[in-house]
Amino acid sequence: MKYAVPVVAMLAAAPFALQSYQVTLLTEILIFALFAMSLDVQMGYARMFSFGHVLPYGVGAYACAFALQAGWPLPFAIAGAVLVATLLSIPIGWLSTRASGVAFAMLTLAFAQLGYAIVFKWNTFTGGSDGLTGFARNAGPFGFEGFVSRDGYFWLVLIVVFAMYWLARGFMNSAMGRAIVGVRENERRASAIGYVPRSLRVVAFVVSGALAGVAGSLHAGFLLFVSPEILHWTQSGHVIIAVILGGTGTLIGPMIGAALIVLAHHQLSAVTDSWPLVMGLLFIIVVIAAPKGLWGIKASLAARISLRRARPAGEKHAAS
Amino acid sequence: MSVLQLWLNLGLNTLSLASLLAMLTVGLTLIFGIMRIMNFAHGAMYMFGAYVGISAAQWAGNFWAGLLLAALSAAAVGAIFESGLLRHLYKRDASSFLLITFGLSLVLTESTRLGWGSNSRDVQLPEALAGVVFVMDEPFPLYRVFLIVFGLTALGILAIVILRSRLGLLIRSISQNAEMTQALGVNVGTIRTLTFAVGCGFAGLGGFLAVPLITGYIGMGSAAIIESFVIVMIGGMGSFLGSAVGSLLVATTQSFGNFYFPDLSLVVTYLLMIGVLLYRPGGLFGEEE
Repeated sequence: MKYAVPVVAMLAAAPFALQSYQVTLLTEILIFALFAMSLDVQMGYARMFSFGHVLPYGVGAYACAFALQAGWPLPFAIAGAVLVATLLSIPIGWLSTRASGVAFAMLTLAFAQLGYAIVFKWNTFTGGSDGLTGFARNAGPFGFEGFVSRDGYFWLVLIVVFAMYWLARGFMNSAMGRAIVGVRENERRASAIGYVPRSLRVVAFVVSGALAGVAGSLHAGFLLFVSPEILHWTQSGHVIIAVILGGTGTLIGPMIGAALIVLAHHQLSAVTDSWPLVMGLLFIIVVIAAPKGLWGIKASLAARISLRRARPAGEKHAAS
Repeated sequence: MSVLQLWLNLGLNTLSLASLLAMLTVGLTLIFGIMRIMNFAHGAMYMFGAYVGISAAQWAGNFWAGLLLAALSAAAVGAIFESGLLRHLYKRDASSFLLITFGLSLVLTESTRLGWGSNSRDVQLPEALAGVVFVMDEPFPLYRVFLIVFGLTALGILAIVILRSRLGLLIRSISQNAEMTQALGVNVGTIRTLTFAVGCGFAGLGGFLAVPLITGYIGMGSAAIIESFVIVMIGGMGSFLGSAVGSLLVATTQSFGNFYFPDLSLVVTYLLMIGVLLYRPGGLFGEEE
């Protein structure tokens, strides 16, 4: 958290220094980072491997698109979309948490596929495979137009993403967040103390889904286009890769992992089109060699350095 | 066409589709039973087997050579995966295998794209299978009948091996208690590699056999893996009877659904799975967790 202010300040100043396509890339990074962070709430803290995390994301995106089409101001459209994604996450979370482990992963996958099939087939409502277009970032109440431009939208995304990070961090550090971790570590002991593991899992699932809904609605406002592709199950795989790559259970790690993936995709797609090959290999290596991800490597390096710094003082003490 | 003829036709379609799906899912079940791994790369194996088979069939000018090589190549890749990578990770939990095999599926799919290109490919049916048969005066592709017979035979042989042979006995005992089996002097590692290879071989076989129906394309694997996950979850992970029944249920939903409510057949398939899992979280024939 000590780097939060300089990082956000640097990002906020970015539009003045960068070219416009770089600002667009940065916006994309921030949205994907929020999406990855939202998955970490259930994957890292509750060890629930959802393979259907595109569902709240896609629902948020579509809901936001519908609201913008209906002429809602952008902030209201986002808020409404998040509400829809959250409400949908409650029954799905309740049903999916009947299972655990691999079965949970498969159930969430099935729900996401159900959503994909509905969006894909329901032409008259969702536009089918063509998706939805023809909406704009409507100005806010009282004619506030600060976020309509590219740079303005970037700042809006930056503020929202940082706020969501701050909220998620607060939630994970709250009594309830600690209880969720407690259930992950030792379910029997947690229920012996009086916690209800299943309810806590549902809460983690819904919070995670709500945050994904925020990311999805930002996506809709960013591209001003949504298509069933954003609900495709491979997207769930990509966001899992981002979380694992960055380091589960850290919130910040998955955001860094997501940033690296978007950047690497952007850079590599100029050189080669077999980007999935690189990502697949990288992912396997990380899962095998560094299950705690890049942030885990950083944390263990930091621990080693501080240990080395501490040692000379200790030795001196022992000699005297 | 009378209703009876229509239903007979749809029923035969169901059976041929079910036998394809069963070949795919029986491999998943075999692997899950012995290793507790849900193999995400199974769809990629299916696609890879299909591509190797198509090339082999073209090169040799023989459908059966393609069939053989499809199974062997997928089995070989499976054996390499298992012995080179998965074997060293058995201490990890089930979820990390889901992740690793997901990574493998990306790598295998992309390597196939690099090797063969993105175009879809077809295979020439041998003359013996290219005709039609008349069932109650209605034409029905002979190839689909062949699929039913071939699928039943292949699954029958597998069932006999697992239930009646010494190898099958070892496979079953490893799935119940690997440590104890190891302690009795059985080389568990070799049998795991073999089982993984056989499971992947079945996927390759299914992939090649699907080509005359759907043509081979890069995305066929990712479509197949979702379908087979649905089946395995309906039937219960690790249950052979479950994957057979699940294949039949899903095939019924799809062939009858595609005729009566084409827009909803996918939706109904997922609803079927969700319904079964809510009723029995472990699947129809699986153990309760």
